[in-house]
Amino acid sequence: MIDQQVNNLIKMLDQIIANNRHHGDDDKVTDVAADHLHKFWARSMKQQVIECANENPEALSGLSRMTIGKLAGAADSKESLPHPQCDEDR
Amino acid sequence: MLHYYDPSIQSYEPSKSGLNPDFDYGTPASVSETLVSISVDGRAITVPEGTSVLRASALAGINIPKLCASDNLEAFGSCRLCAVEIEGRRGYPASCTTPVAEGMEVTTQTGKLAKMRRNIMELYISDHPLDCLTCPANGNCELQDVAGAVGLREVRYGFEGENHLDAEIDDSNPYFSFDPSKCIVCSRCVRACEEVQGTFALTIEGRGFDSKVAASQNDPFMDSECVSCGACVQACPTSTLMEKSVIDAGQPEHSVVTTCAYCGVGCSFKAEMKGDQLIRMVPYKGGEANHGHSCVKGRFAFGYATHDDRIKEPMIRDSINDPWKVVSWDEALAFSAKKLKGIQAKYGRESIGGITSSRCTNEETYLVQKLVRAAFGNNNTDTCARVCHSPTGYGLKTTLGESAGTQTFDSVMKADTIMVIGANPTDAHPVFGSLMRKRLRQGAKLIVIDPRRIDVLNTPHGGEGIHLPLRPGTNVAIVNALAHVIVTEGLEDQNFINSRCDTGAYNIWRTFIAEERNSPEAMEEVTGVSASKVREAARVYAGAGNGAIYYGLGVTEHSQGSTMVMGIANLALATGNIGKEGGGVNPLRGQNNVQGSCDMGSFPHELPGYQHVNDPKVRERFQSVWGVPIDDEPGLRIPNMFDAAIAGTFKAMYVQGEDIAQSDPNTQHVEAALKSLDCLIVQDIFLNETAKYAHVLLPGSTFLEKNGTFTNAERRINRVRKVMEPIAGMEDWQVTMALSNALGYPMNYNHPSEIMDEIASLTPTFTGVDYDKLEQLGSIQWPCNDDNPQGTPTMHEVEFPIGKGRFAVTEYLATEERASRRFPLLLTTGRILSQYNVGAQTRRTNNSDWHEEDVLELHPSDAELRGVSDGDWLGISSRVGHTVLRAKLSTRMLPGVVYTTFHHPGSGANVVTTDNSDWATNCPEYKVTAVQVEKVSQPSDWQRDFVDFDKRQQALLKPAMGQQESRHANTLK
Repeated sequence: MIDQQVNNLIKMLDQIIANNRHHGDDDKVTDVAADHLHKFWARSMKQQVIECANENPEALSGLSRMTIGKLAGAADSKESLPHPQCDEDR
Repeated sequence: MLHYYDPSIQSYEPSKSGLNPDFDYGTPASVSETLVSISVDGRAITVPEGTSVLRASALAGINIPKLCASDNLEAFGSCRLCAVEIEGRRGYPASCTTPVAEGMEVTTQTGKLAKMRRNIMELYISDHPLDCLTCPANGNCELQDVAGAVGLREVRYGFEGENHLDAEIDDSNPYFSFDPSKCIVCSRCVRACEEVQGTFALTIEGRGFDSKVAASQNDPFMDSECVSCGACVQACPTSTLMEKSVIDAGQPEHSVVTTCAYCGVGCSFKAEMKGDQLIRMVPYKGGEANHGHSCVKGRFAFGYATHDDRIKEPMIRDSINDPWKVVSWDEALAFSAKKLKGIQAKYGRESIGGITSSRCTNEETYLVQKLVRAAFGNNNTDTCARVCHSPTGYGLKTTLGESAGTQTFDSVMKADTIMVIGANPTDAHPVFGSLMRKRLRQGAKLIVIDPRRIDVLNTPHGGEGIHLPLRPGTNVAIVNALAHVIVTEGLEDQNFINSRCDTGAYNIWRTFIAEERNSPEAMEEVTGVSASKVREAARVYAGAGNGAIYYGLGVTEHSQGSTMVMGIANLALATGNIGKEGGGVNPLRGQNNVQGSCDMGSFPHELPGYQHVNDPKVRERFQSVWGVPIDDEPGLRIPNMFDAAIAGTFKAMYVQGEDIAQSDPNTQHVEAALKSLDCLIVQDIFLNETAKYAHVLLPGSTFLEKNGTFTNAERRINRVRKVMEPIAGMEDWQVTMALSNALGYPMNYNHPSEIMDEIASLTPTFTGVDYDKLEQLGSIQWPCNDDNPQGTPTMHEVEFPIGKGRFAVTEYLATEERASRRFPLLLTTGRILSQYNVGAQTRRTNNSDWHEEDVLELHPSDAELRGVSDGDWLGISSRVGHTVLRAKLSTRMLPGVVYTTFHHPGSGANVVTTDNSDWATNCPEYKVTAVQVEKVSQPSDWQRDFVDFDKRQQALLKPAMGQQESRHANTLK
């Protein structure tokens, strides 16, 4: 069962892909879409769609899965930065 | 206030900066570059050809008496007081209508002229009440001043003859009165209504002695076409047209120049005061955005600042079902900090966020996003631009390299064709709307792309515009069709494209746009607009010397809002209408500081100056000044915050000056999100709809109570100057600073100028901005840096920030929000002139006399199908909600389209708007909602709940309001 929040993210992702289909083949389109998510989506939103792709891949279109795969690859290669002040506070 | 002699003005300065905005030079400036030398009373002066003798004399420091002349109106020559003698010419020509000529020798004072002027004044005064001591204009009356200047000592005609002294006063307008007994029929009000405002509501009725000023068909002002802009009141040289606030309180004794806090035009005003009481707002002639003009909001609707509903003390409560408790600032801030820290400790660093205000100053907005990024330790900051112009930021940055409009407002005066898309300037940006109308009267052509027939199409003497009444949601289809015509009919500016644009991107776009599927004929069925009209519009735009595009929320608030913005930029690039006056791409920003709030880093992915958070070099610079690490991932946008709140992962919000509960779409979803929060801190001037869900209420300050800057739609940074003390003791920037300090992240600024200095040190487009320069120049249009030390009126003149302009492919995709059998009509929303946004300010003024409630406009044929008459109650149902509004039949829209406004919270306009949003930015699709409409007899369930909830919340506030009143009274003692 996918919650409403993730459903909204999937809808947003589908919209992003649909509006970038003109960039060419699937590889190029998903590059652009993954870059868009990378630039504009919050960390928690990225994590949620990546989890959804892992746990419920059937809920996503092929292009969405491809996009998230690229996003997940980029996320893996990057370490999340600690935030000393906040982390020290609590 | 009239000045007859200003010793500081001794000679003409070629630049406008040499002029005194408080002085009336009699006739408008000439823009000729040819100079002419004359002498006035022996004084030599050189002025541009076309300058009147009256103005040349004033520039030489010689002030000729006048009554019908004013430098914001064309010369009229009716009062004859400004008559002069000119060597070699016969008679006594009026200096206002006489242009200078090389070598002209003018004499302004002779015995004959003095006698003539006295005789004229004698006639005027013979039909004018002699109640100067009790007249509201006493001390500020041009008629009185001129009588003194010409030496009037007697009125030989007596006062017993036929006269107008018993003429009836028209008090119908809530803000000014019209007392025709004091009128001298100089026509300044009539000409101001025509030339400055462009409404043509006033006229001179009758002839000779019977001549009198009349509104419309001799109607009361309130029932006439008058839009209450105040231009006539300002123009009146007597007290015939007079602000009621002056009648009540007397003439103001000092003034402060500041910037209006309503729409994105950013008009400059003189706040005229008596002590700490604001008497009136008078548009400031030195304001580069408005040049002395105003609208009914900025001019008159300032009473909200002292309204009884103002929150004057901080308040807290544990639950939204508890009564508010008035506490000290320290207690409120400590309570807030404890809650925020506790929530972060329990739910994580990213569980809280903040919303900056597009109504607050740049400095305040900067501090809120800094608080979020530095003290909260995440990038969960967003602003109300999310729901209006976020697609402008995305679309213009992608194509032109900068998230801002390209022109000055004045640029419209050089446009040959004006294209208005999804904007309603005469209502939403009225002062610019008047300037646009002036250009249309001069012969510029007009194209309007809008489902509604907006008022600018009915510009008196403006020629016939081309209206493309497209179906809501088909903007991209029509902009593609326009571009298709330009490309396939060879109307492109190839020189511009070759020299200024990226060739690869252009070739891809050109191939796409030339495809037959983008032709007007192919798109006709989609847009509902005839192909021939689209072709005509494309030819008119591309064939113009200068083509200017102005657009508004009718472009951005769509599922393809960002695509449409790029489509608009494509049009301008293809026709070479970038980088020159008279052209450009001009987003008309809704609120006073939408541009500024975006510039200041309110968006979750960008630091100030549109610098992305994932750029390590950018973060490094900010970190070195702020002293803490900055998260390298974007934060949540407003709609994502709501979703996360409902999901239970987002638990606290700090909202400054933004009423998300009323302004954001799908109200019930927003309400559910707000109810899910453990801590909602609202900083506002009233208990707005959002504050009813809050746990902390921090009193905000109005624009009158603070120092800072606003940035208007033309990137103009204008000073906001404090004219009265903040009602709760702190300006908004001080509150944010105190909250940050309570959270343990130190902020210590003594004045907003210090905040601006920090902004300038971190923002490449602001490096040359500081308060001293703002004082010196009056205002600055960014970018202002080493390359452009005086600012940049027109952008992209030489190159784009991204080097070459980038055409973008704009594939049309229909929105998912489509009409169906169940929801056969398309609802679109907008604004009207008298109210502003959620109405929090204007509903607390007499502006509500013009608009007491939101109504649903529908076409008579749709009404007939449903048996609906004007004034019936209508239930409006969409896929997400249901509300009830009164019907107003209108032919402004085509059948199938209905329209409403969202100025009153109880209307529930956003109960029916959906979560659909722009693909790139999540800007909500307010402009397209499929609905059904039917007659009903009672309010909707939501409206009944709204009334109950409102009553409950007002009851929970009431004891605290009483307590704050007594505490406040004690403090004042």
